[in-house]
Amino acid sequence: MIRFDKVSKAYAGPGAPALDNVTVDVDKGEFVFLVGTSGSGKSTALRLILREARPTQGRVYVAGKEINRLAGWKVPRLRRQIGTVFQDFRLLQTKTVAENVAFALQALGRSTKDIRRVVPETLELVGLGDKADRMPEELSGGEQQRVAIARAFVNRPMILIADEPTGNLDPTTSVDIMRLLDRINQTGTTVLMATHDHGIVDQMRKRVVELEHGRVVRDEASGAYGFSH
Amino acid sequence: MQLRHVTTNLRQGLRRNLTMHVAVVLTLFVSLSLLGVGLMVSQQAGETGKYLGNQLQITVYLCVPDDPNAPQCTSEVTGEQRQAVEDVIEANPEVASYYFESKETAFEKVKDIFGSERFEGRNAVLTADDLNESFWITLKDPDRFEGITSALTNLDGVSSVRDLRQEVGPIYAFIDTLKYVSWAAAGALVLAAVLLVANTIRLAALARRKEIEIMRLVGASGLLIVLPFVLESVVTALIGVALAGGVLAAFTQFGIIDGLAERLDFTAWIGWGEFWQTFAVIAVVGPLIAVVPTLLLTRKYIRV
Repeated sequence: MIRFDKVSKAYAGPGAPALDNVTVDVDKGEFVFLVGTSGSGKSTALRLILREARPTQGRVYVAGKEINRLAGWKVPRLRRQIGTVFQDFRLLQTKTVAENVAFALQALGRSTKDIRRVVPETLELVGLGDKADRMPEELSGGEQQRVAIARAFVNRPMILIADEPTGNLDPTTSVDIMRLLDRINQTGTTVLMATHDHGIVDQMRKRVVELEHGRVVRDEASGAYGFSH
Repeated sequence: MQLRHVTTNLRQGLRRNLTMHVAVVLTLFVSLSLLGVGLMVSQQAGETGKYLGNQLQITVYLCVPDDPNAPQCTSEVTGEQRQAVEDVIEANPEVASYYFESKETAFEKVKDIFGSERFEGRNAVLTADDLNESFWITLKDPDRFEGITSALTNLDGVSSVRDLRQEVGPIYAFIDTLKYVSWAAAGALVLAAVLLVANTIRLAALARRKEIEIMRLVGASGLLIVLPFVLESVVTALIGVALAGGVLAAFTQFGIIDGLAERLDFTAWIGWGEFWQTFAVIAVVGPLIAVVPTLLLTRKYIRV
């Protein structure tokens, strides 16, 4: 589903490359943690998958297609297959919960009928069926992140990318969010989550890919945050 | 459905950035009006040129003794000299027609204009003898007067060559000045309009950066992201064009048709035909001024 083939990415200016000869393969339906300290290259890897950036060397494949070569006008089609969740939620504060989720579908030109059907379903899935008409500021952090996940998932993407989704949340709420992501993963969606939340990684026992200075230093099928003994 | 999304965005965008849009509309309105006035004035100049040109003749005055206007004239023009002048006129390919005016005819004309009583009897201020004989020349192309004028001016027996065009010169100069002033002002305002549009787009992109970011991430097409911006520009441009068109139409009706054309009949005046030509120009230029910078800037600010 996602494949990095000897990928390096250097940004302009001096300093070590953000990614250095990375080769990783993520299968369809997998749940993968991408761990490492700040500056280890996690965010760069996610940006490459979204074609927000292009590798300096090597190839990135998403759903079997090499995306470096993708023409600019085809990039939106790629992104429709990928849902994205961020640490800071990125909700539109002037729109209700339902409108925030609907916005993603409107931006893709889906019909009102479709939107009216799919949005409540998705809000139900993330456990916010009763809060459709609330404004984001009336919600807790965990609830806001659920809205963001609903928005990322409402188009039923093949891949869900989450960049530190629990970074702003307390441990209990984080566990709830992880359960939700796990549930989404059960539907067949590939989930790739960048994090440095030890507790969660240790608890979930999923595949862990660890980056350090842009290199893969560990790739374990069911790992913990630190090296397992 | 996409249509509804776009119109919702358009309405929101227009409302959110209202003051900037009003500024753009007003600037476009004034600059397009001035551009229109410039165009109409230059059409008027053409009209006046055509009208006067048809009536403009070149007059060649021949010498009289002690000609007050021509020191080179020492005596009455001789028959040979007159013939030589006529030969030059005859041979010139630019001449459409000409006729000779004798002293007597000239005297009759003067009496006609100033009243005959001052020119009769012993105290007459002027007699036929004081007046110059002349040739009156009509040209095929009234604009090509310089060749014949210079060919005739230095001939023996010629007192002076008068070109009516020189007399109406100040009118032309005035029209030209009016034309250039309104074009210069229109140019400056068009520049201001372009900069305002650029600023408006920058602000709008800033105000909507979160929406735009989310749209990009969920894979909205570039067109759908850019369309509300372009439509905002088109709407403001069309309002500006409509206002400028209204002002120019009022200028045509009340300024020219009911005003100048009623009172001043020394020339032909422009009318609705010229108005529509001008309106066609500003109806194209207005949207261009607004949409071209929008397209360029949205590419810059909204990298898809």
